[in-house]
Formats: sequence, structure tokens, C-alpha cells
Amino acid sequence: MTDHAAHDHAAGHADHAHGGLGKYIAVFVALCFLTTMSFLTYSPAWPWRDQPQVGWAFMMAVSCTKAMLVVLFFMHVWWEANWKYVLTIPAAMMALFLVIMLVPDIGMRNRMVSQERAIHMARPSDLLLLEQAGDAGHGDGAH
Amino acid sequence: MSSPAISIPTDHGQAGGHDDGHHGHVHLQYQPGLPLSRGKLIMWLFLSTEIMFFAALLGSYIVLRFGATVWPKPHHVHLSEPIGAFNTFVLICSSVTVVLALEAAKANKTGLAKIWMAATLALGSLFLGIKAYEYQAKFSHGIYPAAPHGLIHERPDLYYGSAVRSRLGEPAIIDKLKELDETPAENLTADQRAARTALQQIRTMVADPGQQAFEMAVVADQIAPLPAEGAGSHGDGHAHGINDAFPWLRLPIVIPGGNMWASTYFLLTGFHAVHVAVGLLVFAILLGYRLGPKNAGMIENAGLYWHFVDLVWIFLFPLLYLF
Repeated sequence: MTDHAAHDHAAGHADHAHGGLGKYIAVFVALCFLTTMSFLTYSPAWPWRDQPQVGWAFMMAVSCTKAMLVVLFFMHVWWEANWKYVLTIPAAMMALFLVIMLVPDIGMRNRMVSQERAIHMARPSDLLLLEQAGDAGHGDGAH
Repeated sequence: MSSPAISIPTDHGQAGGHDDGHHGHVHLQYQPGLPLSRGKLIMWLFLSTEIMFFAALLGSYIVLRFGATVWPKPHHVHLSEPIGAFNTFVLICSSVTVVLALEAAKANKTGLAKIWMAATLALGSLFLGIKAYEYQAKFSHGIYPAAPHGLIHERPDLYYGSAVRSRLGEPAIIDKLKELDETPAENLTADQRAARTALQQIRTMVADPGQQAFEMAVVADQIAPLPAEGAGSHGDGHAHGINDAFPWLRLPIVIPGGNMWASTYFLLTGFHAVHVAVGLLVFAILLGYRLGPKNAGMIENAGLYWHFVDLVWIFLFPLLYLF
């Protein structure tokens, strides 16, 4: 029984040397920096205004980096054993698989629509129409 | 169970695990399957189900949003990126405070641990409060997850015009409109006077049998104009329409792509807010314990859940606010 308790103690407190205030503060600063970075696409200095996909890819990269920092350091996974792969890799595969499986039916739902849907669905031309109506009404769109 | 449960004193290490050579008595061998405590294992198993839950929601949101022909811009739906960013910052801080609470508890600084735990609770509550404020901003503009409270129509077409006509034809509204018409101009604000004139105009337009799509667009713009880029958060930049001047009127509005947006936004942020609330409940309960090394495991597990909630928000924020 003492072995059991000792082992448990070791498992629970093997992280005594891990973590540490310095690391947590460093991660916090990095997270704050990255959050500000996600607004970089809004700044006038952003060169890819005409390709929103670049902006989206950049924002997802920032999010994934932030997520990795939280998972690895705040959730202590950096110091955990190989079971972390058993949990994370299948879940990641399933998440990716889900998105891919949804693309044909849901992602591409507007590529071939019925007459009835076509009558009722919103289009970019509706946005233009509303903009024009706004300009016609007030000149600058505000009262 | 193939491994023998009893070791005979003369065997050295045959049962595997931690045999230290007993002398004359029988020992039960126990070999943990994984190098982590049961509580932590269960919490991670639960978190993997939560990962699947949110992956399903986020994955479908991504597919729905990028497959849509039109999607409202943040300023069309009164979504404020700075508020979202501040909420992100609040949750990141709360993740730091919960980690600090754990460190303090492991070092047997129970008072400090309690302080950090209370800070986490406060920051989490701040997050929920800001969320409530954001929700209120949507509700006050007729943006709800579903009808009948939701006023959103997809196009400024005849069906929209007929919906506006129906609303204007409701008995209670007719009475209030009559009252409004009879109110002298001095009793109304400048906004309301302008709105009253606009209201006369649209009443004529929706009743006109020869109405065109452009006229319906003008009606929609008068009732709830889509704010122009740079209008930003609420305040001076916020364009006003008839629905703003007379909140009781609640005329149907047009936001192309708005219904899908509202459904996904409220579902994602709603489920996330419920998870935040559950986390806060757990922290409130933990505050009743003595936060020392004996309870460090409990705090760690609660912390794991809380970090996960933060993680979900880290993905939600750009997907909902910035894309």
C-alpha cells in the first residue's frame, strides 16, 4: 500500500519541478501579444487586403498558436506522458474529418439550389441594393 | 486480469511493478495503467468529449459560414471586435489566475490560493457580464436566435414588405401609431421627429401595390440601416433607424445572411457561456475548501476544465468576430 501511495504521490507531484511562475507569466505575455496580433489584418500596414483568405489563414494560425500555448503550459500537457497523444490525435482527426464530411452537403449547398430557395435566399446583390438605398436616402447612410 | 495479484516472498520482481523483497508476508501488487491520478484521467476523458462537442459546433459553423452566399459583416449585426478582444483578455487572465491558485495551493499558501481562486471567479463573472451586455445589444436591435422575437429577413423583397405591413396593421401598433402622430413635435427628440417622418414615408411605400425591390430596400434602410464600415461599437458612429427611435415598434429588419448568423452566433456563444457558468459554479464550491496540497488535485482538475473553456473561446473569438 505504501508503494501505491508513494507512486501516486510521485505522479501527482512529479510536476513539482515543472511549471513555475516565470513560465506562466511568459506564456501570458505571449498570449496577450498574439491576441493583439490577430488584429494585424485590420491595420493599414496589412499587405493582403485583396485576398481575405490570407487574413483568415493568419488568424487561424494565431489561434492555433494561442491554443497550443494554453494546452501545453497551462494545462501542463508539455510534461505529461504519451497518453496525451491517445487523447488528442484521434480527437483532432475526428474534428478534421467532420469538417471535410460536411463540405459536400452543407459547404456546397448553394452551388445548386432549388427554384424556391433561389427566390428566398439572400444574395450579394441585396447588400448592394441596401447600400444604394442608404445612399439615396441620406447621402451618408446615417440620420 | 492475467498478472498475479499475490507475490510469494521468494519471488523477486516476478509479479512486476514495485517488488522490494518482502519477508514472510504476502503483498498485493498494484500497477497503475497510466501515470496520472484517477481524477485527472477522468477529467481528461471528459475534456475529450467536450473537445468533440465544440469541434462539432465549430466545424459546422466553419462550413456554414464559408458556404453561405452572403454573410453579415460584424458592424451589420452590432458585433464589436474590441469587446470580443477584451473578453479574450479577461479569459486569458483568468487562466493565469487559476494556474497561480494551483501553484499557491501546492506550496501550502492557502490564503493566497483563495485569493487567486476568487480572482478567477471574478474574471469569469466579468466575462459573463460582458457577454450579457453584448447579447442585450443584439436583442435591442431585434436580433434573436429565432422567430418570433427575431425580426431578421434575408432580402428586401415583397415578403419583407408584407411582413412590415402586417406589423403596422396590428391593433396595438395602430393605436400607438395614432398616439405618436398626435404627439406634438416638441415632445419628441430630433431623432424621433425624423423617424416619424420616415415612418409616414414607409407606411405609404409598403401599402403601394406597385412596389419595387428598390423601394423595399429603402424601407429596410429606414427601419434599420446597415451601419457603414467604421461605425464600430455603439455610440456616435451608430446609424439610427426607426426601430432605434421607437423601440416598441419592432418592425421587421433586413440583414442578408442574418438569420444563419444569429443562429450560429447564439448557439456557439450560448453553449460556451453555459460552460463558463458551470466552471464558475465549480470555483465557487472550491472556495469553500481549504486550498492546500491535499486538494491540489481537485484544483488542478477544475483548472483543466477552465483552461479548456478558455481554449474554446480562443477559437470562437476570431471565427465569430474577425472573419
